[in-house]
Amino acid sequence: MQGLRRFVSRTIWSLCLVIPLAGMAAAQERGGTLTVALNYDLDTLDPYASGFLTDVQATFLAGLVAPDHDAQYVPVLAQEVPTLENGGIVLSEDGSKMTVTYHLRPGVKWADGEPVTSADVVFTWEAIKDPNYLGPEKDGTAEIERIETPDDLTAVIYYDGVYSGFKASLFTYGVLPKHALEGKDLNKDPYWDAPFGAGPFMVTEFSRGQHVIVERNPYYFETDANGVQLPYLDRIVFKIIPDSNTQTTQLRSGEVGFAYNVPYTSLATLRNTPNLEIISAKTLAFRHVTFNLRNELLADLAVRQAFAHAIDRTTLNRALGDYMLPIDTFVVSTFAYASDDVPTYGYDPELARQLLLDAGYAPGRDGVMEKDGKRLSFDFMTQAGRAEYETAQQVLIAQLKAIGIELKPDNKAGAALSEARRNGGFDVWYSGWITPADPIDSYVSFYATNGFNNGGAYSNPAADAALYAAAGSLDPEEVEARMHEAQQIVLSDLPSIPLFETPSIVVTTNKLQGFVSNPTNQTNFRQVAPWWLAK
Amino acid sequence: MNLTTFIVKRVLAAVPLLLGISVILFGVLHLAPGGPLDVYADIPGVSHEALENIKRELGLDQPLPVQYVKWLGAAARGQWGYSIRTGRPVAKDIRERMPATFLLGGTAFLLALAAALPLGILSAVRQYSVLDYTFTFLSFIGFSMPIFWLALMLQSLFAVHWQLLPSAGMYTIGDGGLADRLKHLALPASILSVAYMASWGRFTRASMLDVFGLDYIRTARAKGLGEREVIYRHALRNALVPVITIVALDFAGMISGAVITETIFAWPGMGRLFIESMNGRDYPVLMALLMIGSFALVAINLITDIVYSMVDARIRYD
Repeated sequence: MQGLRRFVSRTIWSLCLVIPLAGMAAAQERGGTLTVALNYDLDTLDPYASGFLTDVQATFLAGLVAPDHDAQYVPVLAQEVPTLENGGIVLSEDGSKMTVTYHLRPGVKWADGEPVTSADVVFTWEAIKDPNYLGPEKDGTAEIERIETPDDLTAVIYYDGVYSGFKASLFTYGVLPKHALEGKDLNKDPYWDAPFGAGPFMVTEFSRGQHVIVERNPYYFETDANGVQLPYLDRIVFKIIPDSNTQTTQLRSGEVGFAYNVPYTSLATLRNTPNLEIISAKTLAFRHVTFNLRNELLADLAVRQAFAHAIDRTTLNRALGDYMLPIDTFVVSTFAYASDDVPTYGYDPELARQLLLDAGYAPGRDGVMEKDGKRLSFDFMTQAGRAEYETAQQVLIAQLKAIGIELKPDNKAGAALSEARRNGGFDVWYSGWITPADPIDSYVSFYATNGFNNGGAYSNPAADAALYAAAGSLDPEEVEARMHEAQQIVLSDLPSIPLFETPSIVVTTNKLQGFVSNPTNQTNFRQVAPWWLAK
Repeated sequence: MNLTTFIVKRVLAAVPLLLGISVILFGVLHLAPGGPLDVYADIPGVSHEALENIKRELGLDQPLPVQYVKWLGAAARGQWGYSIRTGRPVAKDIRERMPATFLLGGTAFLLALAAALPLGILSAVRQYSVLDYTFTFLSFIGFSMPIFWLALMLQSLFAVHWQLLPSAGMYTIGDGGLADRLKHLALPASILSVAYMASWGRFTRASMLDVFGLDYIRTARAKGLGEREVIYRHALRNALVPVITIVALDFAGMISGAVITETIFAWPGMGRLFIESMNGRDYPVLMALLMIGSFALVAINLITDIVYSMVDARIRYD
């Protein structure tokens, strides 16, 4: 059943990808300005310091490699993605360390015309690693022992261990121009007011709280099949529009031609607007309900199982607009090692009640189950002000009430929410995760005993062993076996119930052609160069 | 004691007041759960070591009193520090947002005042007339209308259906001429002014009616002054005193930023900067914004007192 569903959903999604690709057969036109709605107040253009995903940064910084629309890494500034087979990755004799070699594309230039060399790769690593640099996104820097540059186009990176996720952050976000930044204070340098890189665009204006304008990088290296230099667009204007209703209005009035993460609730209005395309774009995001196992009642597996059987994903999905794809495991279907062979918890309220009765709980006077005077009543946290989450919360409260579990909303926002979810300031928590294209390090942070994002205090040495083994292996078969094992253990222990894989709704003007969504945290703008506007 | 000594005394008294406010604000901000680095914790790729390092560099690992004294020392020298979110000087971040807020708040203030005073006076003069009832009815709608709803409706009407006005933003990129800016200002300024218009109008009306019942107005009429003279020279001056208090206090709020209006209209003002900084627990920016707000309130109170003495001859500061 699950296999079939996955097959069906894969087919649907590949169809979605074919449509925009087919549109590219028409002659592309160069020029034009695309106006994009950015639904957050962008803090900084430094991708290593921003608290947001890197939508704007992806247009002007290019990395060595980047994940594509299937979350598969493709070369950008590098000539190929290093693997064991192509000799790009070499293991030490005892197999405990690895060396990764990148060959840069010859002739690539920064947006100011200077050549991109391997010295820039070394500079980026040193600058981000520097303790005086305060950007928090230093992932992937500490594991590197040294970088050698035998020539201008070769960077040989020596790691102190074996890391399957080595491509995920440092060299994907973007290589920084050494000649513009050397000797400067990377935290405060005015470079970040109008930064440039080797990406298809460069920033010409960042007006805080209003907009970012990026214009064509005249030296961008990529060309289309006919040898025409990319990008096709002259300019992208990112308009900062924090209110999602205003974003909808601007789409309808034509003031904005591209918006993503459009709330499902706006779709009814937008569907009736001519000249707009609505695209359901696959992402690596998923929704989950996570338990705090420090709570003695939730530490009881029977309670968590009952909880899982009480959730009716079909109804919940309908309340959220019927755009989600139900899942039974925490690995989304984009990844080959998503397991079909995990314990599943279908909607069965009778069974859920029975599980509680068998565990010694009995309905109290108000209908809430209790045992030894302790009621199954929990604080239920989600992000305040996020309409989708709050709707889901209401539905879940009603569904759990039906089996005698009481949930009391306890919503938080901003730093208070982050603090609570990491330190266990909740009983039950509904939220979403989005992982990078190499997600295993993220799974470690969610489910390993000392995992950085493991706020529910889940701990199982067997799960730890499987997750760390998967994170430390470069062999796809080994990774798949270990990840199947990890999914089996986590779904049996049920510290968290995976609910849905979450598409992002992208709404664009119907003039936009060549758009292919990107499911990873590298954002849709990672492959922006071939987008174009029909006249 | 003349007016100058009064002002000097009040200014001196404001110093300990602002100091006290700053202690309370600093304490409350740090008591709120979460800290500036929690936002980064949502990114899976951020390590614990990196966060500890930033904490040390920003001085967030030191005891609160030490942090406060350091902040105060810097603030006294006019240094507001660097924003944790943007990495830029706080003064720069705020200076960029001020004009937008002043423009929006100032325009809404003038609009509200220009409508509220005449309407309030007219409905008091013609109490129980059709005009009075209409105005009363509209003001109750004005108070009770949720701003965000009204804003969405007007956006939909003016920007989508009639395509007359832009739905949000401060100017069209690449244009930015006076006409373009006025078009962008029209909706947010009108909407921000609605609630104030209603409240000030009602206040003016009530205050005028109070004064109309006083003996000196009867005297003025008895000695044969024209109705116009009675209303505008005698009644209005006294009726304005309580109105000034309300208007001035509201004004302090308006120039500190209008969070909802700024968010809906994507207006780059201080209200939105405050919300963003609050969600990110950006202490240096928050302290600066809150101190500016407090300072504005203290200053406006002082100005109000001075204006009193000019409007009302009975009030003398000696």
